[in-house]
Amino acid sequence: MRDLYQRLALTPDANDHQIHSAVARCQNSALRQDATSVLAVAPHRETYDTLHHTLSDIGRLRARLGLTHGAHWQGDVANDFSLPPDNAISRHDELVDRVSHAVSLYNRWRRLRGPWLLITVFAVGAGIGLALGFALSLGFSLG
Amino acid sequence: MSIARFSPFELLLLKSRSQVDTATLLLLGWVLVHRQHVSEGQRRRRLAQVTAQFRHGHELGPVMSIAHSQDLHAIQLAAEVVRKECSHERSLSVMHQAITVATDDGAISLANHYILRFLADLLNVTPATLGTLFQELTGKPLRPPEDPSRDAYWQAHDPGHYAQKAKEAAEAAEREKATRARAEQQQRAKADKQQEKKQKQQEKQQQKEHERHAKARAEQASAEQARAEKARAEQARQEQARRERQRQEQARQEEARQHHYRRTSSPPPPDRTTRALAVLGLTPGASKTDVRKAYRRMAQLHHPDRFYSESEHQVALASARFQRIKNAYDYLMQTY
Repeated sequence: MRDLYQRLALTPDANDHQIHSAVARCQNSALRQDATSVLAVAPHRETYDTLHHTLSDIGRLRARLGLTHGAHWQGDVANDFSLPPDNAISRHDELVDRVSHAVSLYNRWRRLRGPWLLITVFAVGAGIGLALGFALSLGFSLG
Repeated sequence: MSIARFSPFELLLLKSRSQVDTATLLLLGWVLVHRQHVSEGQRRRRLAQVTAQFRHGHELGPVMSIAHSQDLHAIQLAAEVVRKECSHERSLSVMHQAITVATDDGAISLANHYILRFLADLLNVTPATLGTLFQELTGKPLRPPEDPSRDAYWQAHDPGHYAQKAKEAAEAAEREKATRARAEQQQRAKADKQQEKKQKQQEKQQQKEHERHAKARAEQASAEQARAEKARAEQARQEQARRERQRQEQARQEEARQHHYRRTSSPPPPDRTTRALAVLGLTPGASKTDVRKAYRRMAQLHHPDRFYSESEHQVALASARFQRIKNAYDYLMQTY
């Protein structure tokens, strides 16, 4: 399985017109024939595109997991779908980081819950008292 | 400070009683999604069957929906968990389950060919082991995947399309032939008519000429010599002109050919450089020293002599890898 889009210098979402002009520009007659029988026929292209998508995913996964030189990753596929290792960090480490962050936030909340509760109760009480006093004074001044 | 939300798979993993089992479940689901000609219910049942002794303790539904969405982050996380936690025996059993899920009778989809091989690389299962496992489970050898990027694949798998194309071509050729035949017939008829006319004219002319000949023969004898000389001079001039024209034509052709050659021998496409860099694990824009360093590291890692103590197959694979790396390096050294 080769990446025909890459070999024709196209993007996978190229339209028919772009494909035709790229095929016409192509110098390699074997590649030209393959491209016309795969990309220029709609049902063939659909099948090819699904597999192309899966293989791009696998190429990305292999790049992130450091498996670009595996024993099962050889030949045309490895040549066309291997990507340079990107700098995405390990998902597992990221998950561990996030869990520990969440845990520390939770612990802080537990520790500070007592004082914060007192302060909130006091604030709410003071608010209610003020509102009552205001209403009473309004009532007196009217009456 | 806020943290991003946990994705559905991360939540599943955190709730699960056994993280490896959940991760394996997702990878098996990924294989199942790429299996063709089965319904969703069959997929679920198959997954439940294969993972009967797992201890994850949650529903299979959410796992299958994540697998259907093909979430690359989730799959990467699952792969990392599996790689981190699996012993050798466990990884063989995971491989076993993956093959069971991918096929009943040895017929395996193209995508699953690559997914199984990815899992084998992830779990450190050698190609020989994978082949044996596959043969034992399905009774058929694991063949290399077919290549739908080639014309030959479609000629084998979609002969209808080619038959139709051939029929259309034949029809077009027939139509062409018919029109050409008709045109020829018309032309021939016209030519016949013209010939008849010409013959009549010639006869008339011949009669006239006969009369004239008798009169003119006397004058002709004197005029003959002068006319012959003039004709010879004319011929020589024409010859020269023709030669001149030929020479010009040749020069023009030569120039065109040279132009064509120049166009075809334009510099190689830039993606070859990118690919060569990718083989060495570099990004575009790497310097020459980077390339050299990466090549040294790669060569040390993949040198066939390192695998001497292992199987012959390993050595062959390593030398293939080494050759690829070396080709990329040679190419880059030439172009940089």
